[in-house]
Amino acid sequence: MLRDRLRTLAAIVVLSLSATAPVVAQSTPSPTPSPAPLPQPWEPFFDDTVVHEIRLAINSRDWQSLQVHYLDNTYYPCDFRWRDQVVRNIGIRSRGTGSRSGIKPGLRVDFDRYTTDQKFLGLKSFILRNQSQDASNMHERLSMLLFRRLGLPAPREAHTKLFINNQYEGLYTIVESVDKTFLQETFNENDGYLYKYDYPSDAQPYYFEDRGSNPDSYVPLPYKPETHETDPRPEFIVQLVQAINQTGDAAFRTVMAEYLDLKKFVQHVAVENFVADNDGFLSDYGGMNNYYFYQFQDRKLFTFIAWDKSEAFKSGSEHSIFHNITDGPRANTNRLMTRAISYPDLYNAYLDALIDCARSAAEPAAGVTGGPGWLEREIQQEYEQIRDAALTDPQKTFTNDQFESAVSDLRVFARHRSDFVTAAVAAARR
Amino acid sequence: MIAPLLVVLLASGDTSSGPPNEGVKKCDVLPQSTQSSPRIPGIFFSAVSAVSAVSSFLTGSKAGPEKSALQQDPPPQVQQATAEKKEKKKAKKTAAGTLAPDEISDEVDNPDQAPEAGGPGIGVAWKQHPSIRFGDAFRLDFEAKFQEDAHGSYTGAPGLNCPSQVLPTTCTFQLHRNRVGIQGNFFKKIDYEVERELTEQELSEKDVLLGYTPKSQWKDVNVNVKYMKNAQIQLGKFKVPFGLDQLTGVSHNDFVYRTLGANYIAPGRDIGGMVHGSFFKHGLTYATGVFRHDGDNARSKKVEGGDQTVAARVTFAPFRRVRLPGDIDVGAAFAVSSLSDDPYLPNGLRGRTVLTQDTFFQPVYVKGQRRRWEADVDWTAGPASLRAEYTWVTDGRLRQGLGDEDLPDARARSWYVAGTWILTGEQKTRPLKADGEFLQGGFGAVEVVGRYERLWFDSAGGANVDLPSRTPRAANILPSGDRALSLGVNWALNRWMKLQFNGIREQVEDPSRSPLLGGGAFWSQVVRLQLVL
Repeated sequence: MLRDRLRTLAAIVVLSLSATAPVVAQSTPSPTPSPAPLPQPWEPFFDDTVVHEIRLAINSRDWQSLQVHYLDNTYYPCDFRWRDQVVRNIGIRSRGTGSRSGIKPGLRVDFDRYTTDQKFLGLKSFILRNQSQDASNMHERLSMLLFRRLGLPAPREAHTKLFINNQYEGLYTIVESVDKTFLQETFNENDGYLYKYDYPSDAQPYYFEDRGSNPDSYVPLPYKPETHETDPRPEFIVQLVQAINQTGDAAFRTVMAEYLDLKKFVQHVAVENFVADNDGFLSDYGGMNNYYFYQFQDRKLFTFIAWDKSEAFKSGSEHSIFHNITDGPRANTNRLMTRAISYPDLYNAYLDALIDCARSAAEPAAGVTGGPGWLEREIQQEYEQIRDAALTDPQKTFTNDQFESAVSDLRVFARHRSDFVTAAVAAARR
Repeated sequence: MIAPLLVVLLASGDTSSGPPNEGVKKCDVLPQSTQSSPRIPGIFFSAVSAVSAVSSFLTGSKAGPEKSALQQDPPPQVQQATAEKKEKKKAKKTAAGTLAPDEISDEVDNPDQAPEAGGPGIGVAWKQHPSIRFGDAFRLDFEAKFQEDAHGSYTGAPGLNCPSQVLPTTCTFQLHRNRVGIQGNFFKKIDYEVERELTEQELSEKDVLLGYTPKSQWKDVNVNVKYMKNAQIQLGKFKVPFGLDQLTGVSHNDFVYRTLGANYIAPGRDIGGMVHGSFFKHGLTYATGVFRHDGDNARSKKVEGGDQTVAARVTFAPFRRVRLPGDIDVGAAFAVSSLSDDPYLPNGLRGRTVLTQDTFFQPVYVKGQRRRWEADVDWTAGPASLRAEYTWVTDGRLRQGLGDEDLPDARARSWYVAGTWILTGEQKTRPLKADGEFLQGGFGAVEVVGRYERLWFDSAGGANVDLPSRTPRAANILPSGDRALSLGVNWALNRWMKLQFNGIREQVEDPSRSPLLGGGAFWSQVVRLQLVL
């Protein structure tokens, strides 16, 4: 009798639990992270565990012309091959600012230049960076990896050997284009207004000072529209600049919140500073440089996207954490950065971001105590990956000794930078 | 026969202000008063003119005076020797006695008719242009042509952007052409001409550094030696003898813009030498010459165009001895140019839309020979005219493939059909000429015009070689073309001033190369004020 009652009770409990289980599952958020996004078709192309091979078939005269007229943005038609995939009738052109070279041209590769909507693995274009300013060939890839490790938007990169008409033309870096595809993947939207900060070599340095309310002073230079080219909306850049320069301290944070996430902004600057980038937002070469600026669709909010870190690491591991922030002439300080870090919480956010960089760079391998940090391991891995291709590069702009030396410098940087930054941040805490 | 009689009855008196019209003597049916159109504007005279012309057509008679010389396009220079001589010879037959400033006068060919200019010494006159003369030894005329436009098209058309603005801003008004020049002769045997454009945009220093070719501001700069009328020699810069529409003078056009074919695949002006003349009382004319390049239409800021060019053109009046309504002239031309691939940029021909200058066909890489052929017909009868022209161009592409292989020829073709009708009843001439000038007792001449045309590009063959592509080295060039319908009204107020209203509907055939998303048709509008002194 008792056994029957117990059975009945057990059955009731089981039924009750099974009936309530879905309700419990629905009402309690899962503690697990959201499912990983589906793999994108272009991911194999940016696989940085291998050195890729890209082959371009081009009229021999066109390749000569591209090298002779490397300062020109003329497109040349060619066929593209990667692994067993061929894309016909694409366009390439010389690209870059300081990195332009007639010997080893940097290239922009456009799949849809001549064939509307033609894509390769979902990509409309990508960049082949020639590393003409970086003897190690790694500055770009290492910097962008750090940006991405810290959750900041930056293009993906991988190394490749480039063959022109089956002749090896050198070691290049594949760089993801900052375009609508990138925006969609990064921000889950792509109909906003994307600008590239374009700093002509003969232009006056610009530090975000107020140039007045005339939109012509901002667009198309220095902010070159990359989307909505025929209908840019420069008025919001004007408003942003005027908010930076004209808003009083009391309203600054409230007004700026409409245009910028200032915490993300100081994080962006912190990563650039950690990698000792001399040619970024706080450039040594005249105000700001090397970033994309994206205005989200239907909002006034902008965000920074990292670009071109060829000049990173060159200042060494003791590069000041306040380089071009407090250690330069006041007239040459960036108006936005100066105002941002005048607020204690943003000042601390900047220092915190530097500490995050230091920790990330020094992060030991899983299950290993001590030993080289992530940055040093990454340098070694990339070095082993590209060494042969770099040494046999027929068009390289540096000697093999310079390559080895530059890699050694990088290792030294990786070993000491985190400690230096951590100490500098500790000293800078108020 | 009733209609012409009706016209006679309705016409309100003799309006001719010049000497007796020679054309009247050749008129079988109509008295002189109907040769010069009545001064009352409006649809009434349009109807009368129409009835007259139709009647003439049906009766086989010449319903008006024989087509004046000005019904031919007065060419900008002597190079179109045939048509020009015809014009000169017939100029005295125009309805209104006074020559328009841009009209070809008789004086050059008919010294006896030259106006008095102060006797054998130095004289100053202003009949067509301000003119200085030293008896028969020397003549110097001053000329000026101004064409100012107000225009519009689809929203944001880049071709209409103001050149001085940093951000895209549409400009409604444009100083389209402002040309000044001199022309004249020595001993009535050596003609000369110099014309310069004042508003052409110069290249920036950066453009020059990038190797762009500056477009010359000098237009016609040449001498014409005419000791032998049938074999005149012209040297200097002038139009390559090719294409009826291209050879029509800039101020004589029935439309605001020349045809796409004339603008982009006919040669235009170049430096060279030419022999030209006429036979059978202008029943057969010819012009043939050698030029340094293949004209400025084939060149642009980025495209160098062809090299040495040989061109020839003939015109003839096949039905001269047959009683047909009006005059019909048939022309044909060919030109051969060598094409180099020395320029690193594609050196082929390009296609752009009429007003908005959107490029619907980018140049392709070429090398070898460029061959042009053209055939045209020009019919004028009373107040009406009809023109049609077909042009065919092929460009060689030796070693222009991605693997340095030869490619099939690139090809460009164009055609147009254009018609005009003068509502106020004047005889069709170019330039359009009013019998009664506006505010001088008349209304001017009002003409309606219409034209349909197509310009398109592809490759001659290549379909079997590869899939069509837009690249400049495609074996099989993906066809791209533009179809344009132009409708308009011309109003010649007086000898100097003309207003033109044109509406242009265009459809770029390849939607992906259309300036409009999705590739729809679009309308452009333009009003031009032309002043010729």
